[in-house]
Amino acid sequence: MIKVSHLRKEFELSRQQKKELNTTADKALAVDDLSFECQPGKVFSLLGPNGAGKTTTLRMLSTILSPTSGSIEIAGVDAVKYPQEARSKIGFLTGSTGLYARLTPLEIIDYFAALYQVPTKEREERKKYLFDLLNMNDFLQKRIGKLSTGMKQKVSICRTMIHNPEVVIFDEPTSGLDVITAENIIKLIRDCKDQGKTVIFSSHIMSEVDLLCDELAIVHKGQLKYNGPMSDFRQNMEASNLTEEFIRIVQR
Amino acid sequence: MIFTIFKKELIDTLRDKRTMRTMLLIPLLVFPITLTLFVNVSSSFEKKASEEKLKIGVWGDLGAKYWNQLNEMPDGLGKKDLKNFEDSTALKKAIEQGEIQLGLIVPKNEAELARTKHSIPLIWLFDASSVGRQQRAESYMNYLSNKAEAIRLKELGVDVEKLHPLVPVYQNCASDKKMIGQLAGGFLPYIFIAFGFIGCMYPAIDLFTGEKERGTIETLLTTPVSRWQILVGKMMVVVTSGMLAASCALLGLFVSIEFLDIVHNKEILDIVHGILTPSFIIAMFSLLFPLVVFFAGAMIPIAVYAKSFKEAQSIITPLNFVMVLPAMIGFFPGIELNAMTAAIPVVNIVLSTKELISGTLSVGYYCISLGIMLLLATLSVIVSYRQFGNEARILN
Repeated sequence: MIKVSHLRKEFELSRQQKKELNTTADKALAVDDLSFECQPGKVFSLLGPNGAGKTTTLRMLSTILSPTSGSIEIAGVDAVKYPQEARSKIGFLTGSTGLYARLTPLEIIDYFAALYQVPTKEREERKKYLFDLLNMNDFLQKRIGKLSTGMKQKVSICRTMIHNPEVVIFDEPTSGLDVITAENIIKLIRDCKDQGKTVIFSSHIMSEVDLLCDELAIVHKGQLKYNGPMSDFRQNMEASNLTEEFIRIVQR
Repeated sequence: MIFTIFKKELIDTLRDKRTMRTMLLIPLLVFPITLTLFVNVSSSFEKKASEEKLKIGVWGDLGAKYWNQLNEMPDGLGKKDLKNFEDSTALKKAIEQGEIQLGLIVPKNEAELARTKHSIPLIWLFDASSVGRQQRAESYMNYLSNKAEAIRLKELGVDVEKLHPLVPVYQNCASDKKMIGQLAGGFLPYIFIAFGFIGCMYPAIDLFTGEKERGTIETLLTTPVSRWQILVGKMMVVVTSGMLAASCALLGLFVSIEFLDIVHNKEILDIVHGILTPSFIIAMFSLLFPLVVFFAGAMIPIAVYAKSFKEAQSIITPLNFVMVLPAMIGFFPGIELNAMTAAIPVVNIVLSTKELISGTLSVGYYCISLGIMLLLATLSVIVSYRQFGNEARILN
């Protein structure tokens, strides 16, 4: 489960950033008083246009960034106070996730299993399960640099799931991927939901959200514009389709 | 956990061809290749110059006095062929056109000057753009001059010893080891500093800026490993790479001295072997280790700050000069290790290593040098840690 309460994130602006943004302010507000809850066994979607604060929010949830104020609870752990413990319960995947080009998939998976301190027996079982599931056995010994985008994406999924995390965070996971490769991610999200994991994913594509999500939060300029079940969103929409309704809410 | 990160980063680094080139291959081969080339080229030039048969044109030697003396001259001073010329203009032209290599002009009043015991100006013509011509003329002139001097002293009935009442005898009290230490000792730390820096450079950029560029750092930061552990694991690889590059350069130099027949003097070779003892190597590495940590600590904040490999490279490359320039102080004679120089980073390492080679390093100055470098290394690690912990810097 993820509990976010009054989350706020300010970034100090460098001289160059002030110039680029044409502002004299010393700080930029990326996330402003965000509160929501993600339940296990449900897919929670964070929807918003580019620059809405989705990535910053997910980076705070995964403890890469520390919030300026507010609280985050990940699977019962206070992520602000105990980030390391919280991280051991999270699997994190982004569309732009890079892999070490000079290592093989097997080496990468072993490396991350060691970083997550997965016990040897469990590690071997998880590896076998995931390699079979993702059909990875044929390219385990090839270097990442020589793999196709689809193969790399499978390695990324395997890396994210090797420690069997309770909470899985996807930051625009299908961004830049073709339909076939994106399908692997969609399948993974559904599997996570079926396994009772807490899933949060961000996107700016309404159709993707419609396909997967149970709970929806729309953010714009760091603020929460909508939060509720996807079924309610569909029922109560004023525009003729989901995309137009999303635009209407953002521009409200 | 640190070891896990270190192991992975080391494998990753060792598989990078660019890093391997700068870390192992270039340092290992630079001295064997350059010294072999230098020794072979210079010895072949020397051999060619000494074996070259020069054509010497002579003008004005009416009694064939110098012609005969030059003919009697042993071939050890350089083989030659003599040719008589009727006028000095033709002699000069022949040199310009390369028909002859040296020209000797004997003054018309040579006999008169010799009779009246005056100095006789012998003019040597040569083309200075050709290597070794002036040297050959000088060696011929020395021969002729010694002969003329001996004849004149005999004519005057003067004993040579009476002309030189004082005979200087200079005796060097410094040991050969000390001499080598002072004259060539600066070279060793210079190599280590230069290659240690280059060895650190690519892994530092690749493991920090490279990770940002490739988008792998974000993944690493979501693992339950603390940032200081990640930093130390990566830093250990950067330091290992710097130490390896410097050690490879020294190994290459040692191999060149040992197997490429560069040093012909057996005594010098014995001294070199005497210097390279386990205790010397341990003491030298103890001085150089904090220096390489300092290099890594200076590069990592830059690598974390930079947004691209190119940007990092453009900032770190000029830093190379700032770091390596003080190492050149080791080449200046007269600058010695004292309380003040022992407190100047980099300079203290160069001077301490020189003293270490000479066998004159005092424990006190060694401790000051080591202490200063350890302090600097610690400070650089703290700066690296702060920069690596700065969330605005670590993510692009």
